[in-house]
Amino acid sequence: MNKLAYFDTSHEMPLEIIMAAGFIPYKIMGDVHKSTDPADKYLSSFFCPAARSWLTEALAHSKEWAGIIFAQGCNNTNRHYDIWKLHVETPFLHWFGAPLLDSAAAKKYYRVELQRLISHLENQFDVKITAEKIREAIGKSNAIKKKLKSLSSLRSQKDIPNRDYLTAIIKCLTCPVEEVSTWLDSEITLWNSRPAFPSDKKQFLLTGSDITYVEWMDTLDDCGIRVVRDDLSVGERFFATLIPDRNDPLEALIEYYTGIPKPATRPTIQKRLDYLYQALQETKADGVLSQNLKFCEPYAYDSVPVNNALKARGYRVLHLERDFSPAADQQFANRLMAFVEMMDGGNNG
Amino acid sequence: MITAGIDIGSITAKVAIFENGKLLATKVIFTGYNAEAAGLKVYDEILKEKDINKSVIAKIVSTGYGRNSVKFADKSYTEIMCHATGAHFLNPRIRSIIDIGGQDSKAILLDDKGKVKNFVMNDKCAAGTGRFLEVMARAMEVNLDEFGAMSIKSKQPSKISSLCTVFAESEVISLIAKGEQRQDIIAGIHESIASRISSMIGRVGIKEPVMITGGVARNIGVVHALEKKLGMKIEVSPYAQVNGAIGAAIIAASP
Repeated sequence: MNKLAYFDTSHEMPLEIIMAAGFIPYKIMGDVHKSTDPADKYLSSFFCPAARSWLTEALAHSKEWAGIIFAQGCNNTNRHYDIWKLHVETPFLHWFGAPLLDSAAAKKYYRVELQRLISHLENQFDVKITAEKIREAIGKSNAIKKKLKSLSSLRSQKDIPNRDYLTAIIKCLTCPVEEVSTWLDSEITLWNSRPAFPSDKKQFLLTGSDITYVEWMDTLDDCGIRVVRDDLSVGERFFATLIPDRNDPLEALIEYYTGIPKPATRPTIQKRLDYLYQALQETKADGVLSQNLKFCEPYAYDSVPVNNALKARGYRVLHLERDFSPAADQQFANRLMAFVEMMDGGNNG
Repeated sequence: MITAGIDIGSITAKVAIFENGKLLATKVIFTGYNAEAAGLKVYDEILKEKDINKSVIAKIVSTGYGRNSVKFADKSYTEIMCHATGAHFLNPRIRSIIDIGGQDSKAILLDDKGKVKNFVMNDKCAAGTGRFLEVMARAMEVNLDEFGAMSIKSKQPSKISSLCTVFAESEVISLIAKGEQRQDIIAGIHESIASRISSMIGRVGIKEPVMITGGVARNIGVVHALEKKLGMKIEVSPYAQVNGAIGAAIIAASP
């Protein structure tokens, strides 16, 4: 089965349509270990480095994919579609205009966009995307989401390194569903057998730009921070809610995708905050780590009101800007460690 | 009980030896290329100078960017914690610390027990750090140790508008070409650092009394420029440069 790649700054792509068309949905996340020189010919260095890495990946690997779908997301990268159209070789490039809002009109528009995507896929690949196939894909998606939720809940109870959680999420976003499903079963068993949550680590909620490489998660571990909750798209947003059971599978997808916890690229901030409050109520966290990738403007803009709102409720919040790099950043680690030391009340003799 | 604090910074390695709540000795050497070797050297040298046997050192705490290269340390803490501890020891009334080191600058707020309430650090940029001053001293062909004394002679500090080290250096070269007085340019450089630091401090809110720590505290020009910019007196301890090491030694002595 071929991979059909998608450009998605959040969790906006209806993966079930790709699955119903007979493809493996593959989220393009770039490779932090590779230079973005190929993409930098088309995008200046003040653009999101993650998006430059995605373009670099597409320039190198697009021929291995059946096609590429762009989902409307971050305003800064939406129009990268035009650059990809010009420079990335692919037999199928589609713009999926996922609406920003969740009003009745937006939902009506969402249906039009779903139907347009279905038609384009059917015509291009000579397949029939039936309601039955979509329902089947929804069933598989929900099964993965349930397993991820169960795995994720172990983060606050067991000794689960941050990189293990991110690895699981990335696998779910890039590999065949059947393979992932079996693998998740074994991971749940494995994680359950791990020792209890280590007493020398702090429990944190992670918010902000998506993390796509495990080295950054290792830095958190090295600084005594364990991420036990998050609201990232390469994270909880992917599995926080299930696709509802509806007679019309398109109706189910519309309801699901317009109702998932909001990223910074979707209004309103209050809706984003509501999920954070809920997560912090469900799981007792020692602190909140808010971070934004350099040049990631949606999260940078949101960070001030979001962090102020969390602080107003008494949560301890640390906000940092990070580079897109797997290299250890001592200055960054210093801030994290100092924050953890501060939580411990310091030790001034 | 005798304890040691070792602070490995990007430019200098510092050590402090503490005995039963009293500071016995301190020492500073250049870190150089090998932070691990610098840690060992500064530690060995102070023990030799003070005729202290290694076996009597009960505990060692390391701090600074090279803290993890001090393999023989029992524990390590960030310099934020150590500077807070050191400053509280030197003057328990201190509520804010401005720490300007070789590669970064920090503002730390303390509570009445000397615990860190909040802190802020500069971004990954040399502006407002000791490295910035080094680059400027080279451009001005002045020994860094003379920088402070020269700048306080200035009657009309030059205006350095660029905050970036690289562009500020070009600006300084232009000012030299224009024939501006050396002391005025240096005073302008100090004012640009003060401007950068005061913006950073504004993010946490400063509370008096304020102490300056780190190697740049030795530069009276920077201290004066900061006092002028912030409109408050800044306390400079003779131990400003080794304050982090002192804090580390105190932490080492704590249970």
